[in-house]
Amino acid sequence: MCSADGAFISVRNLSVDFQPVGVLDRVSFDVAQGELVCVVGPSGCGKSTLLNVLAGFQAPTAGSVRIGGAEVDGPDKSRIAVFQESAVFPWLTVEENVGFGLLGLSRGERRRRVAAGIERVGLGGFEHAYPPQLSGGMKQRAEVARALATQARVLFMDEPFGALDFLTRLKLRADLLDIWRAERQTIVFITHDVEEAVQLADRVLVLSRRPAAVVAEVRIDLGRPRDLDAPAYLRARDRILELLGVTRA
Amino acid sequence: MTPAARRLPVSGDATASQRAIDPELAGGRPEAAATVAAPSRREEVPGRRALLGLGPPLAVGAGLALTWHVAARASGGDLVPTPGEVALAIGELAGKGVLLDYVVASLFRVSWGFGLAVLLGVPLGLALGWYPAAFRALNPVLQLLRPISPIAWIPLAILWFGVSDLAPIFLIFLASVLPIAMAAAAAVHGIPVVYLRAARNFGLKGPLLVTKVILPAALPQLLTGLRLALGVAWMVVVAAEMIAVTSGLGYLIVDARNAGKRYDLVVAGMLLIGVIGLLLDQGLRRLERSGHVQR
Amino acid sequence: MSQGPRDQTARSRTGLLLAAAAWALVTVLHGVLNLGWLSSEPKPRADALKVGFLPVTCHLTCPVTHFINEDLGGERWFEPLRFTGFPEIKEAFLSGDLPATFILAPMAIALREQGVPIKIVYLGHRDGTALVVRKDSEIFRTEQLKGKTIAVPGRFANQRLVLHRELKAKGLSLDDVKVVELSPPDMPAALYARAVDAITSGEPFMGQTELDGYGRVLWQAKDVWPGFISCVLAVNEREIARRRDVIQRLVDGIARSGLWLDADPKNRVAAAERAGPRYYHQDPRLLRYVLSQPPDRVTYSSLTPARADFEEIERLGLETGMLRGTAHFNDYVDTSFTPAADALKPWALEAKP
Repeated sequence: MCSADGAFISVRNLSVDFQPVGVLDRVSFDVAQGELVCVVGPSGCGKSTLLNVLAGFQAPTAGSVRIGGAEVDGPDKSRIAVFQESAVFPWLTVEENVGFGLLGLSRGERRRRVAAGIERVGLGGFEHAYPPQLSGGMKQRAEVARALATQARVLFMDEPFGALDFLTRLKLRADLLDIWRAERQTIVFITHDVEEAVQLADRVLVLSRRPAAVVAEVRIDLGRPRDLDAPAYLRARDRILELLGVTRA
Repeated sequence: MTPAARRLPVSGDATASQRAIDPELAGGRPEAAATVAAPSRREEVPGRRALLGLGPPLAVGAGLALTWHVAARASGGDLVPTPGEVALAIGELAGKGVLLDYVVASLFRVSWGFGLAVLLGVPLGLALGWYPAAFRALNPVLQLLRPISPIAWIPLAILWFGVSDLAPIFLIFLASVLPIAMAAAAAVHGIPVVYLRAARNFGLKGPLLVTKVILPAALPQLLTGLRLALGVAWMVVVAAEMIAVTSGLGYLIVDARNAGKRYDLVVAGMLLIGVIGLLLDQGLRRLERSGHVQR
Repeated sequence: MSQGPRDQTARSRTGLLLAAAAWALVTVLHGVLNLGWLSSEPKPRADALKVGFLPVTCHLTCPVTHFINEDLGGERWFEPLRFTGFPEIKEAFLSGDLPATFILAPMAIALREQGVPIKIVYLGHRDGTALVVRKDSEIFRTEQLKGKTIAVPGRFANQRLVLHRELKAKGLSLDDVKVVELSPPDMPAALYARAVDAITSGEPFMGQTELDGYGRVLWQAKDVWPGFISCVLAVNEREIARRRDVIQRLVDGIARSGLWLDADPKNRVAAAERAGPRYYHQDPRLLRYVLSQPPDRVTYSSLTPARADFEEIERLGLETGMLRGTAHFNDYVDTSFTPAADALKPWALEAKP
């Protein structure tokens, strides 16, 4: 299932041209199975484009993406994208949203998975609420639950907590880590928030300005839960900020 | 920008709350659950206040009627009817037993013309919104047809449909089908791309994609378009009933002109069309709200 | 929670069901109230001949024949169809949906010129047109119309021809006046509001201005063009081939109704009372007025199409550019329906109020 070198997701020389300036320029990297990788970069550098190509929503101009050894040529239920602007359907209840990816399953199996997904993200009691009645954080929880219900092994997350208030983001990060530690999905997590990346990731990919290329990979060798005052944490954070061209005064 | 992003350049001052990254600490109930039970705005208004809300429009209406009365009197002669005469004319229609007949006849033609326009216009518009090639091919023709007043179609309507309810229904259909199709196309164009991506991600295709995602996602904007189109359809009823029909509010106006100096009946017809138009609009607003979720 | 679980879909469904129910209800109500689905009244025969008419005195023989036929207990073999204007009549005729109709004579001739299979089978009336000015106007002679704005009913209206004829007789032409087209029902108000200086159309719209006290007849058509014809009964040629007997019956009926109307002023009062509310939706007082003031304002005798009358129309039509002159009496008139002498007598019917 994995390629010879052990990479589960293998991105090779990925380019996306968009006049007048290319968006992605020969981006290459690997992600191991069960790894949580964050991608940071200056705003507008093409992070979202990268995710759209990875998830199969958009075809690259050149290069390839292989997941589990197979070329990506479109979206698939086995790898679910979670977006910054909530993509839960406002015309469906939380329960119906979570069950949305399970149309082919038996009623019983569906109900079990929906209940488990809702429980996992802590939305118990809100099964029958409509998204417009929920807070931003709860909508993102519902969207994560929808992805979990399909038992997708890969999650692509495009600044999923970017529109939330500070405290909510902290809680959702923690809960995401919780889920990931239990289920070990492979996660590619896009963010413009360096702190978030260092708090979450096994490894952080730093992208350049447009056209974006991978300028560095920073491995975060810190246990979890992470001590945000630990010198290693601060070093990793400062190193990434430096790579992004932000230096301390 | 989020607070955290703004803080980025200045590091090392993380507060205690920021440090609460430990999942155990952050567990528990989802945040902001209090917002869930927030009542909708409509329900905040109790019956008494809703009644009070009718005050200003009623006052404006009364003021207008008074101005109308004075102006009609001041104009001299008896061609321009006063509000009282119009009220009497409506009473006369009711007394003759034609008021209900005419209202029903107009509603019949409008509901069929509009209903057929919905049945054809919505799928057409959805297709136009979904397939860019179809949109490019058909849009110029539709835009060319759109500014043509239904009145201009009257001769052809008679030639094709003769003298029956079909010709006015056809005119009303024409008047509403294009706005409906355009509204449906615009509603599809207005669907947030994340919904479509999510749908594709979960493997939805074909009819399931239409019924599970495209239609519900487009529905709020579509319903607004339908409401506006119904307004147009109702407005066209006068022109549509100029054709050889012998009932309806539009016919009432045309007929009153034939009846000599019966401008009270003309204005009565106008007023009835206005009032029923208002009621139709209110009805569709309700339907619109039922299809709407506050986003 | 303000919106319960079932809300969203349930309310949408309820909305749709309500809309569908309203649609069905309106349809059924229309059927019952306007189409007579449940009515026990005698219905016209399925093959009843549809005859178009307008609520003008030029077409009065149409409703008169209809209600007399009813009074005589006859089956409803023809069905008068009320229109709102000549363009609609013309288009309905062209669509094939209206086999017979009362129509302006020049319009019928022009349609024939354009190749429409139309035949004039009988006249609808004679006279019944006036030119009206405001009571307080300084216009007392035709010559004083020079430079004035005069409303006529339409492009193919005979009123245009009679105006042309009269102006010419007085040494003027249509170029000396400003002719505008107005729908006859709108003419009285236009004269009242001084939007135009003079109006001319068929009755009862001219009489209305007199009755309301601001109009004055400058001349009656009968005084400037004796035997004036504006409207005729025209039939589709296909219909002539298909059911000659029904058309003959219609022509006979109209001839007898015309004679009946001219036989006794009481008959005219009865016609006004019957046709006003039911067929014309006009105040019977107005119809009584134009049918009696003076009694020969509009007449319904000698309705057989005469060659000389139509040649006069053709000539004037050519002069005004209204007609092309490519169709002649034998092309557009079928005289074979002229009632036999024994049919030419008024209905033997006491005028019923």
